[in-house]
Amino acid sequence: MSADIEAQFKPTHDEHARQRFVSMLRKHAILDMTQKLKARYDESIEPQLQAEGRSPKSWRDISKAMQDDPVYRFYSSTRYNAQEMCFMSVQPTIERNFSDLKKTASQAAAEATAGGSLTLDPGLELPSYVTRLDIHLAPGYTHREYTEDDIASGAVVAFGGKVFTGQHPYRRSYGAVGESVSYFVDKQFPDLKPKHILDMGTCSGKNLVPFHDRFPDAELHGIDVGAPALRFGLAYAEHLGVPVHFSQQNAEQTRFEDESFDLITSSFFLHEVPVVATRRILAECYRLLAPGGVMVHMELPNENAVSDYENFFWNWDTRNNNEPFYTQFRSQDPAALCSEAGFSKDSIFARLIPDYASSGVEVADACIAGDRPTPPHGKGGWFVFGARKER
Amino acid sequence: MDESSPDSIKLPRSTKGTRPSFFDDPSMDQMMTFILELTTEVAVLRERQDSLERLLDERGTLSRADVEAFRPDEDGEAERTQWREAFLERVLRLHVPE
Ligand SMILES: C[S@@+](CC[C@H](N)C(=O)[O-])C[C@H]1O[C@@H](n2cnc3c(N)ncnc32)[C@H](O)[C@@H]1O
Repeated sequence: MSADIEAQFKPTHDEHARQRFVSMLRKHAILDMTQKLKARYDESIEPQLQAEGRSPKSWRDISKAMQDDPVYRFYSSTRYNAQEMCFMSVQPTIERNFSDLKKTASQAAAEATAGGSLTLDPGLELPSYVTRLDIHLAPGYTHREYTEDDIASGAVVAFGGKVFTGQHPYRRSYGAVGESVSYFVDKQFPDLKPKHILDMGTCSGKNLVPFHDRFPDAELHGIDVGAPALRFGLAYAEHLGVPVHFSQQNAEQTRFEDESFDLITSSFFLHEVPVVATRRILAECYRLLAPGGVMVHMELPNENAVSDYENFFWNWDTRNNNEPFYTQFRSQDPAALCSEAGFSKDSIFARLIPDYASSGVEVADACIAGDRPTPPHGKGGWFVFGARKER
Repeated sequence: MDESSPDSIKLPRSTKGTRPSFFDDPSMDQMMTFILELTTEVAVLRERQDSLERLLDERGTLSRADVEAFRPDEDGEAERTQWREAFLERVLRLHVPE
């Protein structure tokens, strides 16, 4: 078995303390301050607007009304700083442990004892939407390289991501989304029994690896444009004994042959690319799926699925978290996007699925069957959409 | 990057993209960063002191290496989590009714 790359991350006493505290700061901003902001809106801002005859008619009206409010300003500022600090808190540890982290990754790739592989394409042109700014304030994001065979950016996103979710009540397990989606697929499409699974925008595969537990016979492929994230991912998966074939490819146009997969997934991916790219990616999914194959994308709920206030809340990231395509992506109807990509209308779905780890099997089954309401996205549920290719 | 060699690197402590300003005066945005960093430093110091006390309770003596290696057990970590939460409630006390 390959050495554990995560065990090479050895924070000092104080670095560890800082990382733990930043997790709490981020949770304080995203949950506690958010609640206070909502109360502030309900109890004073909205009544005030109403009294002035300017009742908000859209999330944009709410956003405009919030800009001058001190609670909104301090919430925003705390959230922005906490986000930066998640990644910054792990950088010194990664710098100090860099040589061990890198060595572990190289060894994992050379030995590949679990049977995974890594195929990089140094000539691949990185999409400008990935390189133009550091998405969600991760310096270097998943792709920037500082030295040969670099894994640093992959490590920053992976360990920084753990600080980010460290106090999040519904992301206690590392691959919470992959666990939830694989369970949903198994329940919803019991005849599918996928043998070839592709995860697009896989980063280091944390939400792909759980598919191995659910479908142990399936061959897993993960693609991403970021080489450091893929190198890190191979080491991560190899240590867990999960064979994953990672390759550096643009999901808009891959090198796989037609009908190569019977299940295609993604998570937290499509909102990061412009809608023109999303259209190409969904068309690519259609091409790559075998007849009867299924695609499931875990994403942010679309604008029409939630209230004006929630839209204001989600779209905050567009300007304030280096997520330029959030609003544009969320304004689309996922069903229309699938249908444009070639999927037949009656096979398309857009729904909430239960978070598997926090709900337990019974509740999860009831939610999937529709006998019980699924909690909202990010609060015990996850929003997914997708379709099944005709047989 | 210049300072990077195959086995040692220096990662950027800033991000590419336009930094938003949430206040009328951008100095306030900068000030918030100072305050939150300082708040974090206080929490780290407090945790270090907590480690010293726990080690002294346990052994009556300690070395720097002991402190460096110290990580509390599950109960200790739960106590710290509670402290962090309460500390943030106090420091970031917003002017809103209960
Ligand atoms: C937020 S991450 C999601 C990571 C992972 N799916 C997870 O759940 O943790 C989005 C990923 O998409 C990748 N990406 C962006 N554009 C891409 C493209 N056109 N093709 C493949 N990957 C892309 C980024 O490098 C990044 O790793």
